[in-house]
Amino acid sequence: MTPPAAPSMTAVVSPPMGPADSDINQGILSVLKGASLGYWGLLLLAVTTVTWAALCVLYQVYWGLGVAGYSHPVFWGVYIVTFVFWIGIAHAGTLISAILYLFRSKWRAAINRSAEAMTVFAVLTAAQFLGVHVGRVWKSYFILPYPNSRGLWVNFKSPLLWDTFAISTYATISAVFLVIGLIPDLAIARDRATGWRKVLYTVLALGWQGTSRQWKSHNRTVLHLSGLATPLVLSVHSVVSWDFAMSIVPGWHATIFAPYFVAGAIFSGFAMVLTVMIPVRRIYGLEKFITPYHFENMARFILLTSMIVGYAYVVEYFIAWYSAVEFEQTSFFQRAFGSYWVSTWIMISCNAIFPQLLWFRRLRTSIPFLFVLSVLINIGMWFERYVIIITGLSREYDPAVWGQYTPSIVELSILVGSLAFFSMFFLIFLKLFPVIAIAEVKEYAIHEKEHAGDETPWEHAHTYGEIH
Amino acid sequence: MPTLVGIFEQPRSVADVAQKLQGRGYTDLEIFSPVPSNELDRALDATPSRVRIWTLVGGLAGVVTGYALTIWMSLDWQIIVGGKPFASVAPYTIIAFELTILFGGLLTALGFLAVARLPNPRAHPHYGARFSAEDFGLVVGCKERDVAEIDALLREHAAKEVNLVEP
Repeated sequence: MTPPAAPSMTAVVSPPMGPADSDINQGILSVLKGASLGYWGLLLLAVTTVTWAALCVLYQVYWGLGVAGYSHPVFWGVYIVTFVFWIGIAHAGTLISAILYLFRSKWRAAINRSAEAMTVFAVLTAAQFLGVHVGRVWKSYFILPYPNSRGLWVNFKSPLLWDTFAISTYATISAVFLVIGLIPDLAIARDRATGWRKVLYTVLALGWQGTSRQWKSHNRTVLHLSGLATPLVLSVHSVVSWDFAMSIVPGWHATIFAPYFVAGAIFSGFAMVLTVMIPVRRIYGLEKFITPYHFENMARFILLTSMIVGYAYVVEYFIAWYSAVEFEQTSFFQRAFGSYWVSTWIMISCNAIFPQLLWFRRLRTSIPFLFVLSVLINIGMWFERYVIIITGLSREYDPAVWGQYTPSIVELSILVGSLAFFSMFFLIFLKLFPVIAIAEVKEYAIHEKEHAGDETPWEHAHTYGEIH
Repeated sequence: MPTLVGIFEQPRSVADVAQKLQGRGYTDLEIFSPVPSNELDRALDATPSRVRIWTLVGGLAGVVTGYALTIWMSLDWQIIVGGKPFASVAPYTIIAFELTILFGGLLTALGFLAVARLPNPRAHPHYGARFSAEDFGLVVGCKERDVAEIDALLREHAAKEVNLVEP
């Protein structure tokens, strides 16, 4: 018996055919297609630099830490500076994906994927420095609490151990966040790919079809991961700051360190998102998805965090003076006017003074200006850690043991190598995975279409806030 | 048994029609959505997602492990550090906190796979690339005599297309 088909009904084969693509899919997935000579050139440059840095690490492993520029009393140098720098960069990703998710900031959709990827790669880069810094890399695992023949356990009262736990948790959770967020987009890519990419995306998409059961648990998962990652992101740089603040070195032993470091981390992370995404947007024609509106919002975040960082700089000097502790006062005087004065003034101007220009709307929306500023902030934030670590150690209590530290070629090579290491991963990511969260961008597009005729399209946003 | 696949442009229409169909006793429903939508999350099953239990269990396991690990290890080989008690809860709270997040996050991810039933190697027979473009799909399995009624209902709720898939 045949069903009583209505005249307008079409009996079709399964799966139902139809317009199988959308502008948003095509626009974002086009980044994956092909690779220009420039891309391969950049990748080759990055790989070559990483190789050079790896050779420098091997050189250091062979000859020992003497090849670094360490000289008494400075035994935390460029490696720790760069480690803290990369951990800081890693903070924007989780801020954008977790905290702004909880605050329902719709503008995050355009940048959250790239920022999450940067987070994972930045933590990966930072983690390399723990091995490089300890010198005897083959004993790095001593920091882990594993049963051993000596019967000893690690010292859980040490901030360095807290750091181990904080950073490994952060690396794991940010990777989980990135992967879970990618699944629906991998299904989009899978449905449109051919050849080896089809195989890759089919495996990685885990059979995602966007059924209501899948989306429901996905939404709930993202909400819970955001709830977990929000205190995590605040804790990680707090713990990193305690590596310094728990000691009694003048210039380090300060209670303001945790919020000061967290604000600085978010500040530098946003700057790195701008540094990376401005060229990517331009080269791959993503202007439709990442608009001046997004840049202006990021600029506002940079302005806000710059002022927190600037405030912390002022408070540090004020407390040093107000405490009437001679050692603190000397340490801070030496920062600004001692032999490291150049670093200090680079830090103050790049982090606290130049970003004040963002008060002008014209500059907030000027992409070239934002690019230049973001590079300056990256430089400034590296110098901030340099100033804190190096001047702190080289101007401790007794002037008789003061010293002068200059980075060696090996250290600088590994610093440059870390930039290449990060870029290498990002370049590969760019060609393998959607660099913008397609499903999320589409969610807003569809929502706006639904309320196209309304006076205030976001009046209906209340339903967006509830997750079941 | 015939299957009807309604194609929609807005999640709200899909949610409305799905609820009406459930009200009329049709339970063989499946929704395909290109985007996350809270209306659709509630459309077929209004109970909260069970991922929440996984997060809770993971978080509790983390906090217990964090304190147990640190306290037991510092009592197992006793060394005085900074004149503090062997089992100093304050610094160990940091470890317990990090493990709460770590275990909670990992179990949430596992819970996601378990609740969403992923990985899922078998493709749904009515899934198509249009559902990862911009179309929403409502798949209704029904008896032959109900086809006309459901077809009318789908069209009434702004279905731009209704496809009948023969068994």
